[in-house]
Amino acid sequence: MVFSSLIFLFLFLPVVLAIYYITPKRFRNFTLFIADLVFYAWGEPMLVILMLVSIVINYTAGILIGINREKKTAAKLIIILDVIINLGLLGFFKYAGFIGETINFVLPFVNIPVIEVALPIGISFYTFQTMSYTIDVYRNTVKVQKNIITFGTYVSLFPQLIAGPIVRYEDVAQQLMDRKESLAQFTDGVKVFLVGLSKKILLANVMGSLWDIVRAGGDNAGALGAWVGIIAYTFQIYFDFSGYSDMAIGLGKMFGFEFVKNFDYPYISKTITEFWRRWHISLGTWFREYVYIPLGGNRRGLGRQIINIGVVWFLTGLWHGASWNFIFWGLYFGIILMIEKIFLLKLLKKAPAAVGHIYSLILIVLGWVLFYFEDLGELAVFAGRLFGTCGFLPDTSIASQIISFIPLLIAAAVASTPLAAILYKKITSKPVLYFFDNAACIAAMLVCTAELVSSDYNPFLYFKF
Amino acid sequence: MKIKNLLSYLPSFIFCGFVFVIMILLFVLPKEEFSAQEKKKLADFPELSVEKIMNAEFQSGLDTYMSDHIPARNFWAGLSSDYELAVGRNGSKGIYLGSDNYLFPKPAETGENLMKNAGYIKEYADDSDIPVYMTVVPSSGYINSSKLPMNHEPYNDGEIIDKFAASLGKNVTFVNVCKDFRKKADSRQLYYKTDHHWTSAGAFEAYTLLGKTMGYQPVGEDQFKKDKVGDFYGTSYSKSALWHMPPDTIELWKNKSQKEGSVKVEISDGSDKKTLDGYFSMEQLKNDDKYPVFLDGNHSLVTATNDNAEKGTLIVVKDSYAHAFVPFLSQNYHKIIMADMRYYKKDISALAEKENADGILFLYSLDNLAADNNLAYLF
Repeated sequence: MVFSSLIFLFLFLPVVLAIYYITPKRFRNFTLFIADLVFYAWGEPMLVILMLVSIVINYTAGILIGINREKKTAAKLIIILDVIINLGLLGFFKYAGFIGETINFVLPFVNIPVIEVALPIGISFYTFQTMSYTIDVYRNTVKVQKNIITFGTYVSLFPQLIAGPIVRYEDVAQQLMDRKESLAQFTDGVKVFLVGLSKKILLANVMGSLWDIVRAGGDNAGALGAWVGIIAYTFQIYFDFSGYSDMAIGLGKMFGFEFVKNFDYPYISKTITEFWRRWHISLGTWFREYVYIPLGGNRRGLGRQIINIGVVWFLTGLWHGASWNFIFWGLYFGIILMIEKIFLLKLLKKAPAAVGHIYSLILIVLGWVLFYFEDLGELAVFAGRLFGTCGFLPDTSIASQIISFIPLLIAAAVASTPLAAILYKKITSKPVLYFFDNAACIAAMLVCTAELVSSDYNPFLYFKF
Repeated sequence: MKIKNLLSYLPSFIFCGFVFVIMILLFVLPKEEFSAQEKKKLADFPELSVEKIMNAEFQSGLDTYMSDHIPARNFWAGLSSDYELAVGRNGSKGIYLGSDNYLFPKPAETGENLMKNAGYIKEYADDSDIPVYMTVVPSSGYINSSKLPMNHEPYNDGEIIDKFAASLGKNVTFVNVCKDFRKKADSRQLYYKTDHHWTSAGAFEAYTLLGKTMGYQPVGEDQFKKDKVGDFYGTSYSKSALWHMPPDTIELWKNKSQKEGSVKVEISDGSDKKTLDGYFSMEQLKNDDKYPVFLDGNHSLVTATNDNAEKGTLIVVKDSYAHAFVPFLSQNYHKIIMADMRYYKKDISALAEKENADGILFLYSLDNLAADNNLAYLF
């Protein structure tokens, strides 16, 4: 189930909220756990079993590590086994086909059969979450969770189950066992949720259709059209992803949870280093905590640091999808980050801010070209278009469609900056603030619902026979 | 609780109120079975069983059910259209809002299919023993180009129709109405504002233009008495969901000297048959979409006989634009047989032979012709 759907907004959410708040406090995790399973099983009734298996394995691993805390080798063995199982499941369900194809490509005489498995939604997210738990138990930085329902609730928590943020167990351990929901927090949650919903429906989806128009236009889009298209995709992916994170954070608040911030206006960055501190923060944190620092981080000299950065960015790319373009995308940023570490960062600090902004935006946008095209041939064709292989101007048909998106492109650009948040904080008069809050909530609910309903509204011209 | 606190928590109450009220209404409100705007049967509540849950059929069924039965569906669609208009996305639903309350379907895709259809018609005409005529009705957006919104996709109907006509060959007598229509459009309404079809006046102009080529003497406009019917909301209106647009008026042009019982219209869809006395099916006026008042709308085969007409038998291969047009043509032809290739899947030459027809007219709108893939059934 996705948040931006009628069924979630007008059936699942009200029912779950009602049952949750009727439930006595100590059974609320159980209610939430059932809701999580229904939420997950909505689209994938069978794959919910995989998630349950993952919960049981990691719960058991946590208990066993706890018991064997004194016996260092036993604990080590268990954590290694646990990591292998977790990565093995992720590897099988997400990467089996990719690995098979790659082997067949490199070693054509082997010709192993390529396995086609349906990707279980959210597996990349919940695998990383469960690993954050067992690894931290092994490091003795968190306590063993003895209650399997509480642990299951953590892994499968529906707000962040399928698209993050990747909540580390450490960050929510306390809230899982003892949280106080409040009306103030709930109200905050409603506002954050509606901001996210609006980002997704009013900006991301619309930018997505502009990107579709440009791609469908092919060579007729011209270089200008191609640039507008990839910029639209740049907006789409940001508002889609950060909108989803906002909705997750907002829903979390409605149920008494506080999740970490996942996006912090990444497109206003002046360097790529800064961009990655602002983009998908929870994933960056995870890789830093569980890969980069254990590998030695920056404490073993520049040479080793460069290798560590390379490893982290290869994995970051691979995490995003089982396809070479994602690996290239990861390495692309890995290389830029290395160059920045070695000398560019110092230069950019001295340069005027505008230089940094332009430099970062161009590299980010070009990065999304790599990210979008899984087919490397299509990628090359599109990259060619950006640099003028098919003329500069789009044809009149595409031009007229692009023009109709200009107001929303401007809105998306403004919404990518903290301008609105800064202005909002400047409202000091309470009555004005109350009026604004309520008016904005009502407007967001009405327009988002209208856009959701109308995407299914298809009058037919001819209907007979 | 202090009133100040209550105010700051108001968004929570508004949000919960909103989602709960919609949920409750969804279950409480009586369900409609058919959507008049969308002309489709609305989904039933999905069948609930373990098997249907495990293969997710129940879930996707419930998705469809919710989207079909969401309370105030038309209100939401309308709000969405107004919002999109406000943010500059005129045409996002496939319909432009122009000046003077005109709604224009966006220009249709005219790709290879159109030329393929030209090929079929050419092939048919090259083999035909009787004269073959054709005309293509340009789109409202092309003809009323001065009323289009400032930013719109290009309407190239003129060029496309020229190219199409050129590829039909010498055995098809093609009548191009574009120039005359564009000239006339300033002084009279040739197309409806809320529908893609031409008005009776538009069809009459074409009837007058075709007379010279097809060899009949068109009846003059003053020979007709025009009955006006209001409250016509056409398909462009439904698609646009701009509910505040005013309706159109339909004119039913009736020949003043037509005698009672002299015109008979027989409608047949395979084994289903019915008859009308006259060209107009008055029961269709109950609906919002009143265009089917002309010859009762889309049917496989419709035969109009007029005892007062001089010329013989004509076959019209057509789309719905012919419905407003044939009542005029019928003033001159004793018998007109209209075949709609979307539903009539039999050979047209056999029909022409059986009816001993004197000629064949192909009458299509450009948009339908470009999308139609039934002309292969001509032979």
